Amino acid sequence: MTARRIAVSDLSAGYLSGVPAISEVTFSADPGSIVAVLGPNGGGKTTLFKALLGQLPFSIGEISIDRTPAYVSQTERARLDFPVSALDVALMGTYGRTPWYRRTGRGERDAAASALEQVGLLDVADQLFGSLSGGQRQRVLIARALAQQADVLLLDEPFSGVDHNSSERITSVLEQLRANGRTLLVATHDIEQARAFDLVLCLNQRQIAFGAPAAVLDRRALELTYGAELVLLDDGSQVVAVQHHSHDH
Amino acid sequence: MDFFGRLLELDFMRVALLEGMLLSVLAGLLGTQVVLRRLAFFAHGVGAAAFPGLVLADPAGVSPQVAALATGTLFAGGVRGLDRRLARVGTDGVTALLLVAALAIGIVLASDVLGSGAAVDQLLFGTLVGLSSVDLLATAMVCVAAILGQQACGRAWLVAGFDGRGAGSPELGSRSSEQVLLVLIALAVIVSIKAVGALLVAALLVVPAATARLFTSSVRSLRRATFAISSVEAIGGTVLAYALDVPPGPAIATLASGCFLVAVLVSIGRSA
Repeated sequence: MTARRIAVSDLSAGYLSGVPAISEVTFSADPGSIVAVLGPNGGGKTTLFKALLGQLPFSIGEISIDRTPAYVSQTERARLDFPVSALDVALMGTYGRTPWYRRTGRGERDAAASALEQVGLLDVADQLFGSLSGGQRQRVLIARALAQQADVLLLDEPFSGVDHNSSERITSVLEQLRANGRTLLVATHDIEQARAFDLVLCLNQRQIAFGAPAAVLDRRALELTYGAELVLLDDGSQVVAVQHHSHDH
Repeated sequence: MDFFGRLLELDFMRVALLEGMLLSVLAGLLGTQVVLRRLAFFAHGVGAAAFPGLVLADPAGVSPQVAALATGTLFAGGVRGLDRRLARVGTDGVTALLLVAALAIGIVLASDVLGSGAAVDQLLFGTLVGLSSVDLLATAMVCVAAILGQQACGRAWLVAGFDGRGAGSPELGSRSSEQVLLVLIALAVIVSIKAVGALLVAALLVVPAATARLFTSSVRSLRRATFAISSVEAIGGTVLAYALDVPPGPAIATLASGCFLVAVLVSIGRSA
């Protein structure tokens, strides 16, 4: 499967008329690439995702995507007491293309099982979502996006709240999806992880920088992106963004 | 056997038992949503809010269902409107405020308009003999609406209950499917009132689903178990009400609460 290119030019979008939450956003990504979206809380990462999903009207700028992207929400947003199995959650990804008058059938279940297999979780398909580890839950949510058969995936802080091993498993899943030609936008606060991706988009209510990590992730761009949330470690070779999680923007 | 044979010879008991079965369908379809989506207080609020409408219906020459629908809708709209303006009070606080106001207005109206404590009892706790074929028809129509709603919006309700709009599909978890759910729950509450009373709608719309939730691990099994449990409790409670000469609402509520207690004890025993 070949992913479609995503192209955004001069985008301004917001929740109140005349008050943009993000502005001057211009970037593009090819099939088989991962874009890290860096920014502080309220910096506009979620606003950008909402605009790309078509959930937030905008009057300035252009977005060019062949098909609606799939959104991978944060695992913290899911209710762990809800009586759904891993397969049930992956199956939700097929709902958008199943007419309301038809029940989900073997074809949809096979697609959901295949998506779980791609993230290495077919063996826990029948287990309750809430009984899985944080990293497994995040991979189930990625499987749900895969079941949507979208070429572009938007991942909202997929490494948040997972341990090191789970983080590595998720990274390997993302790399496999990139190898399969999908385009991934990954909202993250992990600057070091962003260095491993193909491109970096720095947002702080406006676009600060966009390009290859080596060219973009310098001290000036990070200071403009994170401001007071930025902490320099040791000799200045490592930087950490200290963030308090909030999902309002 | 003679006792049950005699029961089925009574027209009002046949109607009451049939009504109980129809309400069990609503419990299975919508009661599960009430429990999964934590809407029990909203359902209780709609029931209490319908009370002043029911008190006024007879003297005003209006159908009780229409009056209950009007006040129930006013209540739902009031919660929504005040919730936005009184964010500091919270949805639960606003619901409680309007619920107390509705009950108080209903009691004041009942004392002046009807002047009969017995009639108020029937409105608050249900009646065995007052059910008619019109009530059966109204409940059957809401059942059909609930089945259609489940078919059209069930998947959106599942996604919305699980993680909001997490699936990222514009047609899933949309506001309209959520409004359909609230309207259907309000309708289910209103048609339940005559059988179990304005104060005890939770006996059929919340307690059986809460009982089934203790030992089910999928939404489908939860729906089926809720239907089975509420059928037993509705029929058992109706028979109990006749045998003990008490209103059906408290009889069904007592039976349902007893079953819930047993299920909790079994659940604790199994996990120990």
